[in-house]
Amino acid sequence: MGIVTVLWEKWTEFKRDFYKITLAAMISPVMYLIIFGMGIKVTSNGEPYLNFLIPGIVSMATMSGSFGAVAQNMSVQRLYEKALDQVMISPTPLWQFILGQIIGGSLRGMYAGCIILVLTAPIKTGLIWNGWTFLIMFMNGIVFSTIALTLSFLAKSYNDAPKYNAYIIVPMSFLCNTFFSTENMPSGFRQIVSFLPLSQTSEMVRSISAGGSPTVFGMAVLVAYMVIFGSISFAFIYKKKNL
Amino acid sequence: MIELKNLTKKFDNFTAVDHLNLTIETGEFFGLLGPNGAGKTTTISMLSTVLLPTEGEILIDGNALSRKASAQKRKLSVVTQEYSMRQDMTVEEVMEYQGRLYFMPRKEIRQKTEELLEFAGLLQFRKRTVRYLSGGMKRKLMICRSLMIEPEILLLDEPTAGMDALARRQMWNLLRKLNNENLTIILTTHFIDEAQALCDRVALISDGKLDVIDTPKNLIQKLGAFAVDKTSEETLQTRYFHTKEEAIQVLSEEEGDLALRNTTLEDVFIDRVGRSLDAPKMRRK
Repeated sequence: MGIVTVLWEKWTEFKRDFYKITLAAMISPVMYLIIFGMGIKVTSNGEPYLNFLIPGIVSMATMSGSFGAVAQNMSVQRLYEKALDQVMISPTPLWQFILGQIIGGSLRGMYAGCIILVLTAPIKTGLIWNGWTFLIMFMNGIVFSTIALTLSFLAKSYNDAPKYNAYIIVPMSFLCNTFFSTENMPSGFRQIVSFLPLSQTSEMVRSISAGGSPTVFGMAVLVAYMVIFGSISFAFIYKKKNL
Repeated sequence: MIELKNLTKKFDNFTAVDHLNLTIETGEFFGLLGPNGAGKTTTISMLSTVLLPTEGEILIDGNALSRKASAQKRKLSVVTQEYSMRQDMTVEEVMEYQGRLYFMPRKEIRQKTEELLEFAGLLQFRKRTVRYLSGGMKRKLMICRSLMIEPEILLLDEPTAGMDALARRQMWNLLRKLNNENLTIILTTHFIDEAQALCDRVALISDGKLDVIDTPKNLIQKLGAFAVDKTSEETLQTRYFHTKEEAIQVLSEEEGDLALRNTTLEDVFIDRVGRSLDAPKMRRK
């Protein structure tokens, strides 16, 4: 019931800011597609580079959409608007509030990813999108929603949200299998990067788009992040002395 | 009944609330007064579970208040000092959100929203985004929101801040009416006249500690029910007397710009806060 309340709140926000949200979700990925995919025409392992790039951009858009929606919203609610106070004193169980935030954030990520799928649909790539794709996108959204929640509870000022974006989202966008394969990275660094959630999401979405299936390892990495950051978020809302 | 037992809140090395013990009876209109930084808002924040106590506990009807205690939280509603609302929501969305957080049926949410907004004169602004409301309107909306759920205990942290004199008086009348319907109200305010007019009892806290607790009438009588102000070019000096005769005698004996009046709760506040801050003391008879 509390989950539905949070989703309703997210829905009102989505309806109100529909054009802003949609444009914001489109601009960067479309730029990357134009510059790297169409402007610089290259091939990757004999395949058009677009076939490599699009799954990466879809994964990246899912990550940015989820993370941005939750980090910005929660930081502002907690530190600027103080609207979180209204939730804290209400009888809505706080675990339901957190779960609602995570699901809502993930849906926003999926929306951002689906925009890319729609925009690239007219391009004849032969890429395959199926239920597995959407499941991985949803899981990726959950991972980055929980990370965003954790960081927004740690934030000291609502201005911290853009900083987290610069420290976490931007480096992951470029390093984690979005624009180039991590295979050629130096050993050690490659292993570290492969344990980052976006690397696994990009890898799995790319594999599915080529007719393959997600890997157990990739799913396990995403689940591990969900459990770790989800648990921290739940612990914070119940135990953190000063919210 | 609300009980604060040894309630303490520390922020690093700073103690904002220091072993505060209070009992507030059901249906009481209780004022929490103190200078800036005394710990009033911190106490309200602990009552609303936004802050967790470092030590001590809060009991609502004998049961401990915590973030997991939905049954206790259902009894509480709060009007915070800041405009704690989603600024991008419309007035009616704010009300609906509140109703949903308290699991109210949709029909009841719509009905109560209409009633409360009409009462507060906000019905015509129901579609307006909170960001575009005036300070007074935001304050009224927060009151409406807090009453949406028919609480048993209402926590008011500076509820009339930013309101004009007329709106304040309207608010007083509303709060009196609600209190007469057995709603327990805890009020913090910088308007001491507000506390004097409304509260059954007041607690004065200073540096996070309870200084004194009593009815406004008793506190005034203890200081002296009559006050003589002596105004000079630089200072205003006030002396307090228990009888009018004593005050009149001073008026007849001394020269200068003197005025006799009834002592107010504000005099008590200034007297006690002045002492606690080690400011130049008012002379008391």
